[in-house]
Amino acid sequence: MARGSELPPESFDEILAWFDPDREVAGNIYVQLRQDLTKIFAWNRCNDPEWLADEVFDRVARKVHDLRQTYEGDPRLFFYGVARNLIKENPKKIKSHVPLEGAELPAVPSQVENETAAMREDCLHHCLQQLDGDRRELILAYYAKEKQAKIDHRTELARQLGTSVETLRVRAHRIRLTLEQCIERCLNRKM
Amino acid sequence: MNEQPVTDALLRRFLLGQANSEERQLIESLFITDPVSKERILAAEQDLIEDYIENCLDTEDRKSFLLQYAQSATDQRKLRIMKSVKDWAVKETNTPRVNPAGISIWNRLFAGIKLKPVFVIPIAAASMVAITIAAFWLSRRPDEGSKEHLVKQEELVRLNDPANLREVPSQVKVQEFAPVSVRGVEQRELTLQDNSQVMELRLAWIQRENFPSYRASIQRLGDDKPFTLDNLHAEGDGEKTIRILLPAHFLERGTYRIELSSIDSNKAVSSTEEYSFNVNG
Repeated sequence: MARGSELPPESFDEILAWFDPDREVAGNIYVQLRQDLTKIFAWNRCNDPEWLADEVFDRVARKVHDLRQTYEGDPRLFFYGVARNLIKENPKKIKSHVPLEGAELPAVPSQVENETAAMREDCLHHCLQQLDGDRRELILAYYAKEKQAKIDHRTELARQLGTSVETLRVRAHRIRLTLEQCIERCLNRKM
Repeated sequence: MNEQPVTDALLRRFLLGQANSEERQLIESLFITDPVSKERILAAEQDLIEDYIENCLDTEDRKSFLLQYAQSATDQRKLRIMKSVKDWAVKETNTPRVNPAGISIWNRLFAGIKLKPVFVIPIAAASMVAITIAAFWLSRRPDEGSKEHLVKQEELVRLNDPANLREVPSQVKVQEFAPVSVRGVEQRELTLQDNSQVMELRLAWIQRENFPSYRASIQRLGDDKPFTLDNLHAEGDGEKTIRILLPAHFLERGTYRIELSSIDSNKAVSSTEEYSFNVNG
């Protein structure tokens, strides 16, 4: 598991077995579910979403042996139920409102703050080179227009690609996510 | 749990932290269990971030957005990265592509034929004269494309004369459109079966104010000129509609965009809505 846990490894194995008899499949479900729970905690503006996601697994692990015998339905929903309880327990500590003007975000005392626009641009170009030509062209075309013009532009782009605007949106999202992760890794290396 | 449909509007409220507990649980459980819903939610989140970066959120939504997405340094980094990607795409698209060597076509031409400098000025002058004569001759010559456009434009104006709009042809095929600015509006597909058919396009005018007249500009993407119709009028007491008659033989395969502008009492354009549809052939 992602953080130090006092639970015996058997409990974790039992969670995996509850997800799927195939350990590899179960492992993927675990990784995905942990990411999803982290995102849900973030949406609920909880402090330290990753720690809370691990806490969900710890709590479930304590009773997984009995749960496997009695719980009916998708196990992931049980984890979600535990997450909701944690959200209720966890008082929201909303930091003071930081005004942001456009992209020129104000100074935040952190390592991330030391990044410069030039570093981001370097990383962007580096990561664009990692994408294959088709994906680079698609992301370029997808973000080429702004505001009202982008609606028509994306509609036309979807038509040219023989797909729906919704599918195009999801495809662009996947590519942008890959790009964003690559840029984050690149920036971390530069710090 | 209430099985209400998850609309784009609901997703946006959820992402801005404005959904109620029941809605939140519905969306979050779909996010965990349904991969298709999950991608849709994440894509909607992306749209929201884009709207923030483009400064398209109203004050209230902007405030909610900042609370939700810009509190930590990591969040702010993500926003900056997103802005870099968008800036790059817009800049790249607006920058004319230069030839690899960065040399103009004239330089390459002169370099290729190895002209001595003494010949360059007389040749350039002669070329300019030739180009001017050719341009004058071409401008005097009636352009077949322009003539055809003019004929079609006249036909369209005749068909949309207020008197004709009162007596709609019997074989008319009615199509209703909402402006593309309305969230969730899907691209309409028109399939033409008969070239003699007349299409009646009913364009919903969603703005509250009424105007003395409206102007429609209809253009297929990639075509040079639009067809323009003036003096159109809104109908209906509550929801207003502007009707346009369009002969099917006007339409070719492709994406059409209609720009509908309201004309105020000073004959000035006061607001515009856009509509879009695809013609399948």
